[in-house]
Amino acid sequence: MENGGLMHTLAFFLLSGITLAAAMGVVFKRNLVHSAFLLSVTFLGVAGLYMTLQAEFMAAVQALVYSGAVAVLVVIGVMLTHRQQMSRSNPPNKMLLVGALAALSVVGAIVWAILATPWKVGKGSVVTAGDIGRRFLTDFAPPFEAVALLLLAALIGAVVLFKGGKAQS
Amino acid sequence: MNFDALMLEMAVALLALLILVADLLMEPGQSRRKLGYLAIAGLTGLLLVSLGRYGMQGAFFNGLFLQDDYALFFKQTFLIGAILVCLFSLDTVDNLPHSRAEFYVLLLFAVVGMMILASANDLITLYVGIELMTFSFFILVGYVLCETKSTEAAIKYLVLASAASAVMLYGMSLLFGIAGQLSYNALAKGLTASPALIVGGVMVLSGFAFKIAAPPFHMWAPDVYEGAPIPVTALLAMGSKAAGFAAMVRIFAEVFPGTGYPWPLLLLLLSGAAMLVGNLAAIPQTNLKRMLAYSSVAQAGYLLTGMLSGGFAGVKGVLFYLMIYVFANVGAFAVLTAVSRHRNGETIGDIAGLSRKAPVLAVVMTVSLLSMAGIPPLAGFVGKFFLFSSAIDAGYLWIAVLGFVLSMVSVYYYLNVVKSMYLGAPADDRPFEIAMPVRVTAVFAMAATLAMGVYPGPLSQLAETAAKTVFK
Amino acid sequence: MSFPVLSTILFAPIAGAAAITFLPTTAGSTIKKVSAASMGISFLLSLMVFFGYNWQTGGMQFVETLTWLPEMGASYSLGVDGLSAPMILLTALIGFAGVFASWRVDERPKEFFILFLLLVAGVAGTFVARDLFLFLLCYEVVVIPIYIMIILWGSSKRVTKEYAAMKLTIYLLLGSAFLLAGILMLYLNAYPAGARTFSMEALAKAASSGALSPEFQKFAFFFVMLGFGSLLSMWPFHSWSPDGYAGAPTAVSMVHAGVLKKIGGYGLIRIGLLMLPLGFKFWAPLIAAFGVANVAYAAFIALVQKDMKYVVGYSSVSHMGYVLIGIAAADVIGINGAVANMFAHGVMSALFFAMIGHIYHATHTRHIPDLGGLAHQMPRATVGFFLAGMASLGLPGLISFVPEFTIFVGSFKAFPLFAVLAIAGIILTALYVLRVLADVLFGPRRSEWDGVHDLHGADWVPLVVLGAFLIGFGFFPSLLMDVVNSGIEPLTPLLVKIKTAATLWGGL
Repeated sequence: MENGGLMHTLAFFLLSGITLAAAMGVVFKRNLVHSAFLLSVTFLGVAGLYMTLQAEFMAAVQALVYSGAVAVLVVIGVMLTHRQQMSRSNPPNKMLLVGALAALSVVGAIVWAILATPWKVGKGSVVTAGDIGRRFLTDFAPPFEAVALLLLAALIGAVVLFKGGKAQS
Repeated sequence: MNFDALMLEMAVALLALLILVADLLMEPGQSRRKLGYLAIAGLTGLLLVSLGRYGMQGAFFNGLFLQDDYALFFKQTFLIGAILVCLFSLDTVDNLPHSRAEFYVLLLFAVVGMMILASANDLITLYVGIELMTFSFFILVGYVLCETKSTEAAIKYLVLASAASAVMLYGMSLLFGIAGQLSYNALAKGLTASPALIVGGVMVLSGFAFKIAAPPFHMWAPDVYEGAPIPVTALLAMGSKAAGFAAMVRIFAEVFPGTGYPWPLLLLLLSGAAMLVGNLAAIPQTNLKRMLAYSSVAQAGYLLTGMLSGGFAGVKGVLFYLMIYVFANVGAFAVLTAVSRHRNGETIGDIAGLSRKAPVLAVVMTVSLLSMAGIPPLAGFVGKFFLFSSAIDAGYLWIAVLGFVLSMVSVYYYLNVVKSMYLGAPADDRPFEIAMPVRVTAVFAMAATLAMGVYPGPLSQLAETAAKTVFK
Repeated sequence: MSFPVLSTILFAPIAGAAAITFLPTTAGSTIKKVSAASMGISFLLSLMVFFGYNWQTGGMQFVETLTWLPEMGASYSLGVDGLSAPMILLTALIGFAGVFASWRVDERPKEFFILFLLLVAGVAGTFVARDLFLFLLCYEVVVIPIYIMIILWGSSKRVTKEYAAMKLTIYLLLGSAFLLAGILMLYLNAYPAGARTFSMEALAKAASSGALSPEFQKFAFFFVMLGFGSLLSMWPFHSWSPDGYAGAPTAVSMVHAGVLKKIGGYGLIRIGLLMLPLGFKFWAPLIAAFGVANVAYAAFIALVQKDMKYVVGYSSVSHMGYVLIGIAAADVIGINGAVANMFAHGVMSALFFAMIGHIYHATHTRHIPDLGGLAHQMPRATVGFFLAGMASLGLPGLISFVPEFTIFVGSFKAFPLFAVLAIAGIILTALYVLRVLADVLFGPRRSEWDGVHDLHGADWVPLVVLGAFLIGFGFFPSLLMDVVNSGIEPLTPLLVKIKTAATLWGGL
């Protein structure tokens, strides 16, 4: 696919449409399990968008980690914790109108900013997984290591909260 | 590769891992106090080592990670804060139902996050530092799951902080989109005036405003401060705020000034709003943690005035004020820990009659609160002097006048606490037990507050040296 | 360096307070003795300073300087001149008398005397400071001990003592917020960055060298005026004062009415006039008008008060009006009178409050209609009360006569109308003072007060010490006036220079 070509444009709008529709579904579906599955679709749509941008590695990560692991974890989490009727597990919110207005104004601001800004368009050089890995372990070593710590902290946190939940029950 | 630049961060992380492993080697029912002492000793050692690291300048990892006096000053602030918090939380941790050692581990991880923030010189490092700190806080805030308030606070913090992070990240992506670069130096050159810069800059600023609890992004503070265990609240109030300022000052000093938009105007609005909202909302509070939360919102406002001038004088004030705020905060929260242990509550009624039961703690509380209000000869006065004089010098007279007037208004609610301690009748006649570490921390914090108020010279020189590395 | 007299005056009370912290709460009499000893040292040394001050040479004497915060241009530098020598004497005198007036404080004496000594030290610091930063530090130190002392040991009927204490604190602190802003502006504008200094001499030089524009001076002086005006209980910022005095324990009322208020007048001269002369001149008519309002308004209110402390509280507001008029006259004679009157009023109101405190302690009431004929049972207290009252209405031969007279002479040229109005105010003063004296002390003997104790033991000290100054400086006014004059006379060139400067109401 060539940048700016007809197919490219079509793919972009198609994937964006899927992503946005699925995201709306996440919010508006009454059943939390449905929402969780739609979340997975959203992630896949984003993965597709990465593909159109020639970021194959990112697309793969997005599909594997987010759609495959995160969304599934969310589903399992919903199933494990929720014990009442599933069909009304994601109740609507009374703040719909206010929320929509706020969201629209933010979207408006961002759209204005994006349309009114002359962006620098790069050549679109291909970045391989190897390039990313090399940069992780050279220039970006401190944040990379910090992320490792972050994961460890999250792991410990999960155990702590689990123990706390057990102590409570 | 230069591991020396990362020495402090690595050492704190290793200390955390050491505690984690040592915990596994100890009997399950055994007290974990020794691990607390280990953390304190380790951090103190690092603090001493770090004293000799002034003047070591350099950019590492292709300019993404900076080692300079400015970062070092902040790291020392975090270390001192963490040491004192560990010291007065020894007993709180002993009384936790479970996972005692992990408390110290997570606390140290939060400190590592703050340290990375102080050194970050690019958007990725900045973001990861923020997240490391915030994640550790998520868990620490909700540490006592069996208390509804703590859990509620944790969920609020999780949701709101995630939203703030998302907004900030989006803003960063816009900045990256304009400049095509991530490091501050490159951003400073690459950012051109454009609508996306306005939106992106405002979004990044919103993320920082959340961290330092400046209105309208302060809503989480009262609830989270109230629900979290007291030592966590203390660290949140000073560490999270200081780390937010560490990153914010650097980015506003290095990236934004050349972009042609009136950023100081935004800071001015933020500062005025924080002072007004914080001080006025603190007046009706009866829960001391909530009151201190609003007071910390007000402190963010005072601190923001130091960023208006865009020169080293103001930043020196910010550095100085954050360091002394650590001591004032530790003093107040250490006393609150003792009161809460005794009464199992933190309201103004629980602290009533403290001057009869524990006169030393009552004095520490009074001194700490008055230092926050900026009454001489306590350190807060000198701090406000630096901040407001830099603002007046830069032509922002009225924000300084507002600051002075509102500081005096703040005396009203601080004195209500003092009144309760000195005039109120104790709510019970049980003898008041003060754990030794809490007493030591409280008295030390008071002594530091007094000493830096009467003789601020050395600290102010240190802060000036540090500030000058950002404003060459 | 010779013996640091002023530092000792400043630190003796602090050392006393520090020593008391290590005493047990129950050691009431030891605590009082330590307080008396430390204040005694200050008092003796301040006598030495006042009488050792060489008024023929004038200028700053007993100077001490230590580097403190060089990067900010602040130094620990002390000294007295003709303006501050009477003030430091007054502080130590009232502090010393205050310890003895509090001899009967038996509830939590440890906290009481620690706070009291810190309070006196803070007040003393403002008068001996030659550095503005040191001045500010000491200036605000004093507010918080007062708050705690009023809520713990105070007493009040008309409003709660908590209310009175908070009102006083907030008024003074809000005033100080403006003062701080004004002083910061002055500090930042007087010299360029790097050469900035808090030295009072240097800042006064900056004004005379023309570094500060007239517009800036007018602007900054307004802030300074708000700060010092509210401290001096200048109308309309006066309402904290009667409530606060009525609520405060005796010794706090003595120190507050006696010396703390005087920081306002002292600051108006030392900082307002010397460092912002054109601003001072510009606002002077307003200050004088407010002064007249003080005199008349407060005196009228004092006429109808039923609580003795409120009478003296309003009376002190009224007397401050004379001080304001004298200062605003911007004339050597007027300012001389104002400074001397601050001293006179300090001694007199301290004696007043000490005697009221004693009567209240003995009879448990301050309500004037309940009292009467106390001269029969309390002849000694009556002497003190009478002396203070006579000084208050300016009886010749007592301390206030010469200063008040001097103020009228000085201000008549500048503000003839105001001066006449203020003189008329004396009649009101005489009315309310004589009414209180008559209702409380004289009249038929009342049997319900037969058992009360007159002054005895430690109670004598305030009467004797304060009375001695009241009469001594009354008969020998030059002892006071010569010293004061040596501080004000050198201002003549400055005052001549601003004589024709623009004022609020145009040129004069």
